[in-house]
Amino acid sequence: MTQVEPTPARDATRPDALQRPFTPGAPSNDPELEHYPETVAGPVPLELTDRRTAEFVEQWRNASYNCYSSGHKFCREVCPVMQVTRNESWTPTAFHANVVAMEKGELEIADIAEDYVNCTQCGACELRCPNTLFTGDFYRFRTRTVDVVKAVRALAVESGVHQPNWRTWNERTNDRTHEPVLGETEISQENVRNWADGLDIPIAAPDRPSETVLFVDCEAAFYRTAVPRAVAQILQKAGYEFGLMGEQWCCGGPAAEMGYVDQAKRFARHNLDNWRSTGTKRLLVLDPHDYISFTEDYPKYFGAEFDIEVVLVVEVLADLLAQGKLTPTVPVERTITYHDPCRLNKRKGIWQEPRRVLRSIPGLTFHDVDRVTQWSYCSGGGGGLPVEKPELTAAISEKRLGHAAELGVDTLVSACPWSERPLSEAGDAKDIDVVDIHELFAESLGITVGGSRGSVGDERRGCGGGGCGGGGCS
Amino acid sequence: MTTTGTSTERVSADLVARVIERLRGVLRPDQILTSKTDRYNRARVPAPFPVHRWRERVPDLAVLPESTEEVAAVVAIANELKCPVVPRDGGTGLTDGAVPLRGGIVVDVKRMNQVHELDLENRTVTVGTGINMLKLNEQLATHGLIYPDDPASYPCSLVGGRIGTSGWSLIGARYGHTRDLVLSFDLVLPTGEILHVGDGAGGKISKSSSGYQLKHLFMGHQGTLGIATKATLKLYPKPEAELSPFWAFDDYDAAYRFTGALARAGVATFAGAVLFDEYKVAYLRRDDEAYIPQPADVRALTCAVLYGWEDEVRVGGKRLFRIAKEHGARYLGDEISEGDWAARHDRYATPLHGRTKTGQVVPMSWHCEDAAVNYTNVPAVTKAWHDIVADLRRRTDVFDDWGMFAYTSADTGVDYLTEIDVGIWEQRLDDDAWSMWVKAKRDIAAAALAHGGSISACHGSCREGEVDLVPRELGRGFDVMLGVKRMLDPNNIMNPGKYLLDFAYQGDVSAQLAELRNLP
Repeated sequence: MTQVEPTPARDATRPDALQRPFTPGAPSNDPELEHYPETVAGPVPLELTDRRTAEFVEQWRNASYNCYSSGHKFCREVCPVMQVTRNESWTPTAFHANVVAMEKGELEIADIAEDYVNCTQCGACELRCPNTLFTGDFYRFRTRTVDVVKAVRALAVESGVHQPNWRTWNERTNDRTHEPVLGETEISQENVRNWADGLDIPIAAPDRPSETVLFVDCEAAFYRTAVPRAVAQILQKAGYEFGLMGEQWCCGGPAAEMGYVDQAKRFARHNLDNWRSTGTKRLLVLDPHDYISFTEDYPKYFGAEFDIEVVLVVEVLADLLAQGKLTPTVPVERTITYHDPCRLNKRKGIWQEPRRVLRSIPGLTFHDVDRVTQWSYCSGGGGGLPVEKPELTAAISEKRLGHAAELGVDTLVSACPWSERPLSEAGDAKDIDVVDIHELFAESLGITVGGSRGSVGDERRGCGGGGCGGGGCS
Repeated sequence: MTTTGTSTERVSADLVARVIERLRGVLRPDQILTSKTDRYNRARVPAPFPVHRWRERVPDLAVLPESTEEVAAVVAIANELKCPVVPRDGGTGLTDGAVPLRGGIVVDVKRMNQVHELDLENRTVTVGTGINMLKLNEQLATHGLIYPDDPASYPCSLVGGRIGTSGWSLIGARYGHTRDLVLSFDLVLPTGEILHVGDGAGGKISKSSSGYQLKHLFMGHQGTLGIATKATLKLYPKPEAELSPFWAFDDYDAAYRFTGALARAGVATFAGAVLFDEYKVAYLRRDDEAYIPQPADVRALTCAVLYGWEDEVRVGGKRLFRIAKEHGARYLGDEISEGDWAARHDRYATPLHGRTKTGQVVPMSWHCEDAAVNYTNVPAVTKAWHDIVADLRRRTDVFDDWGMFAYTSADTGVDYLTEIDVGIWEQRLDDDAWSMWVKAKRDIAAAALAHGGSISACHGSCREGEVDLVPRELGRGFDVMLGVKRMLDPNNIMNPGKYLLDFAYQGDVSAQLAELRNLP
């Protein structure tokens, strides 16, 4: 490469502006600083032939370069997948470095797509990144690994590179308007509200408007039905008015997480239109994954058109507690620790309200672990990982239960239905019960919850007794 | 000039195929990685390099062994088939130890991260070398113990890499550095044989005078003499108290004199002092909300850190504050002192702090050049290094001066790790800029040597540029290095191309060495 301009002769006997410390850009700086010639031409940028890849690289190159150039890798030991695989190809830094390599024409989407399965989108890496920690305030900067992972997965799907189980999962979701969380067992629009049997919750319709609706995610609606039953009955007890959606479809979040963006948008469109038709202004959300969809994806899809207020149930409960509208009185004799769901703690900074709810429950012995330590904890249940690599999800949950076991607890409380299935399976091996915070709170309010806590939860607790949130109770 | 005595010969596709076939006999399929991403992501360390030349450093495959025996089996196959092997631990080093120069097999030890034995009576822990110090200390904390090896990369570097680089610790003045803290370890030699090396034959002996002292030989070789797989480490009580005062000064000279006085004070709980020069303070002002919002007359800083029981730290701290008063040091207060010390690992690389000379924000990679320099020579080396970087900046905005630190290495203040942090705008780094940088690196190393120092206290010195001066620094010792390398690695398979060790296989190289030793 040639030099752009020759270096000018300089009087070496006289100190110049560069021989003193200065802060670039300061108004008091020596004007001489503006007159040094640039002699480096820079590398010739590569022309990428694939249009999609070129657009992708253009959008993400600087975000990824900020990770690549830092090279800290402090994210590595907090990454749940890395902790169980110890494979550097599946680390947040690798996910950014691959983008830089794509810019240089060294890697293509087909080379990298499969690696990006290995992420739960928990966000720990973003928090642990020194770029976020140190320059977040000043530059309004946050490392964006989750978005990069989502973008790579989307690019893969657009480019026709599919992961087999994700493709099937999303096809079946598309057919049934809900995720196939029960495997071969049929789920459909007809039974999406079965969890609410006997609870007498109004269903919104154009002629029966409902200002507030409770949105129940697929896992809770079909698998861990004790969670929505607990939520609904707590709200009823507090006199909080709400209805259920007329025709609820999956929020579309999982499809978006796996790269099936068009499908996700179609589902979002349906839901928004449905809310519009029933005059709905407020969404009550019990699942952290839905909370991400409604607070991050929907505003991106619809812009100002999305004017629905999104409210997290556990925050409502903490509020109702503070107002004295709910007072738990039934002692729950358990020794617990709390699992901070990644999407609440790491992605949304919500960690105080669940603890307030738990501390209000009489009888509990609570061994808390601080939220920062929990940056490196995860259930492995998110980001589509259990669909494509259930063995990694199981290993991550096993590790999480190992942390709980060290505290000598008999119960791990979570606030995320998607985490509770893998955590319950891992907990069973250690004789630790996994309970949802809403189930526990309902019990302390004297509510007989009913519904199912999933196959492991139902087996462990059986039926009968005040502590039951399990199936078969009525 | 380009580095002499190295070749860039790559492994043939045929050999790679034969190696993989043989590895299948000793490892499970999931331990043998051959995809492009597996290889591209094991080609890099944080030190900037011309990204358009990434592919030159990509290995042919990587393996994830889970035991010493598996590592030995892999290395034995590589030695038999004459295929290069590159050990990779955290991959956080700054002198390219873990970067493959000729392809071959990357042996990634991250899966060997078990705690094998915790000996509470003798205060040792035996671990796989793939364990990270922070994660180890999380486990040790429940026993009130700590493994006090504290590099800048503490949250991500691994015990094995610390052995391979003979690491330097921020709190080494109190607890010693990696060489003092690692009592013994298992090492797979380049022939695939397993060596246990420590003080004497013992696993948990801290001082032996039996035989040659081989432990040091097998630390800091940057992976050229083998792969450490399992190590026994010395443990300390987790300190009850930490005191980390920061003091401000009007100028560098005053801060320098004060730093020396602190280090010479002989306070037993003293774990280190750090001197921030005027360029470093100017750098920190680029983002004075996140850093230190200080008045303009703060131009240099000194911090010290003490660890121990509360009663002894309190007394030691009083002595240091008395010295501070005598030197006119201005204490910055508890909040800044505690916060800034707590952030010591995170503050290093901040790509967003990159600036052109006129203040435009550009994303830059952090690079750090280090040396070991005696106290009396720190100011001269500091000036010489800033002049070298100023000369780069006169020609281009690809390079930026992020200031210098000087850290005490020992408890007496005899020598300092001096480091200059250089921002490098990697997206603009072309071959010309790279040549400028390699020359600057050589000049930086030469300045350290000219002032009686060593090229590196911390990183190692096998990167392009600086490595040319290693024969000069070590003198006849470099010839001994060549002899040792030839004897232990007869086929030059272990991390070939590093440290000019190809000379070991080229007969009489006295003329080449003389030329290197006479470099300006």
